[in-house]
Amino acid sequence: MVSIRKGGRKSSEDYESTPFLAAWWTYLSLAILVAFGYLRDFLRRIGLDKNHSADGRKNMKEFVPVSFESFVDRNILKRVNHCVSRPISSPPTVEVDVLERTSDDGNWHFRLTGRKRRCINLASYNYLGFAENEGPCVDATAHALQLYGAGVCSTRHELGNYRIHEELERTTARFLGVDDAITFGMGFCTNSMNIPVLVGGKGCLILSDEKNHASIVLGARLSGSVIKVFKHNDIDDLEEKLREAIINGRPKTRWAWRKILIIVEGIYSMEGSIVKLLEVIRLKKKYGAYLYLDEAHSIGALGETGRGVTEHWGVDPRDVDIMMGTFTKSFGAAGGYIAGSKELINHLRAYSHSTLYACSMSAPVAQQIISSMKIIMGEDGTDKGKLRIARLATNTRYFRQRLREMGFIVCGDEDSPVVPLLVCVPAKILALVEDLFERNIACAPAVFPATPMTEGRIRMCISASHTRQMLDKVLDSISELGDRMQLKYSL
Amino acid sequence: MEQMDRTQPKDSPRVPVGTMGDGGTTYSGVNPNAVWLNSRGIWLSYVIAVTILHLILLSIPFLNVAQAWTLTNVVHNIGNYIFLHMLKGTPWETNWDQGKSRLLTHWEQIDFGEQFTTTRKFLLLAPVILFILASFYTKYDPLHFVVNLSTMLLVLIPKLPQLHGVRIFGINKY
Repeated sequence: MVSIRKGGRKSSEDYESTPFLAAWWTYLSLAILVAFGYLRDFLRRIGLDKNHSADGRKNMKEFVPVSFESFVDRNILKRVNHCVSRPISSPPTVEVDVLERTSDDGNWHFRLTGRKRRCINLASYNYLGFAENEGPCVDATAHALQLYGAGVCSTRHELGNYRIHEELERTTARFLGVDDAITFGMGFCTNSMNIPVLVGGKGCLILSDEKNHASIVLGARLSGSVIKVFKHNDIDDLEEKLREAIINGRPKTRWAWRKILIIVEGIYSMEGSIVKLLEVIRLKKKYGAYLYLDEAHSIGALGETGRGVTEHWGVDPRDVDIMMGTFTKSFGAAGGYIAGSKELINHLRAYSHSTLYACSMSAPVAQQIISSMKIIMGEDGTDKGKLRIARLATNTRYFRQRLREMGFIVCGDEDSPVVPLLVCVPAKILALVEDLFERNIACAPAVFPATPMTEGRIRMCISASHTRQMLDKVLDSISELGDRMQLKYSL
Repeated sequence: MEQMDRTQPKDSPRVPVGTMGDGGTTYSGVNPNAVWLNSRGIWLSYVIAVTILHLILLSIPFLNVAQAWTLTNVVHNIGNYIFLHMLKGTPWETNWDQGKSRLLTHWEQIDFGEQFTTTRKFLLLAPVILFILASFYTKYDPLHFVVNLSTMLLVLIPKLPQLHGVRIFGINKY
């Protein structure tokens, strides 16, 4: 489903569904895994299989039996365990040193072999390449470390409000093109601590996309409002739910809702899809709702000058009531921000749980964000920022186009730097990740039950620092392995 | 015999969402048990699996056709009963729903407790069609009929909407 938008931007994120044969192999794989899981559990119970880690703790043996709930973890996920949570020993730049591990008891415990493998990093959210440990950003950060120290030792309300925090907030507001911004030390807590402050109290409704991040879900639940979930990026479903909510009013009393808040993300990290922002804003204006946009992955990564999904669609940032984002991905730092009108930010400054109880952002981290933001905006006098953004855009388009030409099913919008590759069968996902690691390429797998049963995938994150040779090497490896494992599902 | 609530409101998303495969936990998501029977191609796979079971039973030399059909029916129904009506909860951890689905069988979790969905109708039809086929191929022999009918009733009765969440004599309650 492709639709033409103003400015020639198309939303083209629908991907082909899994071919029937791949789905059938997936079911067969899972059935075999489940059958062997039951067999192994039986052997462990009668004592033939002596893996004591699976038994549970010694002092709880007669008290708490090994539960059915850990069946998938014990029998299926432990087989994939060596491909997740791999320790690294270098900064997560374009290449990363992954420490090799072996296991003597079937992936229950690992020990380091002492060897390192330098891999092309396709697993870190390093979109603009600011995760490096040398350069002007790092020099400024080291200077800030000497000036302010590492810790802040206080909350924003008490003694933790430094000049650098205020400079960071002014820079962020200028970067986004809004009145004011407020920053927090942790990206997750930016959502979970502030959504309750914005829609707390009775009579509020939250309309949340089904694939929203856990921080948004937690914040929505903590706020105590009624939560309705609409299908992922489905504007018709959102409109239907909005209409139903407004017509029916609050549960039981049928009064009007005090506030309706639509929460969407800029880029969804597991799907790679970009929100249909023009349509959401049209709906928001038509029905009088508020919009909360979480740009965790899209800030810095989309748009001509890196201003995020609002620039990607050509939308005035003042149309979005609450703009939220994190500094972890494109800026190579930590923390999050919320930006919007002055009234909104003044309210958050006074009432946010994070400014009251959580320590503020560490000063060197704030300096890293300020330096990287200035580079992106071009305020450091060079055009390095522009080059990074351009390289990310070319890398993304090249990578996705080549994968599509090869015949893979790739999810998500064609401008999104998050590239999930559909590899449905669990055994093939494992094999692909292992073989790519053998060829010094590191990426992340995702299997059922974290994804739908027939949509197991590997996820790759493109960075501005990836060179054309690296991408070609990755593409050639994926193509070769794809031919061998018959992963080129696209018709 | 008390009725239990649904685990999710009716307008919940139809697709599970979650973190990457790190222990299979999904924080923001819904119970994958409710939706995986709607996946692409699962019904045909179910039919193919039953067919393969039947072919295996047919190839055992000392069973005649009638016995093979009855055995297929019985094995299918027992498997159906165990996996849909006896096992409770989920084989993965459900941190998000505070244990609501721990007391529900898989049948009660399907489509978040909504009745008369197409998946439920399919799972209701499967034992009926097998019973009809088995009756035909056993030439309506009385003994085979009793066996086939009793296993079919064993599987059909728990699927009635009136028995949603019902635990007779407290069997299988916790």
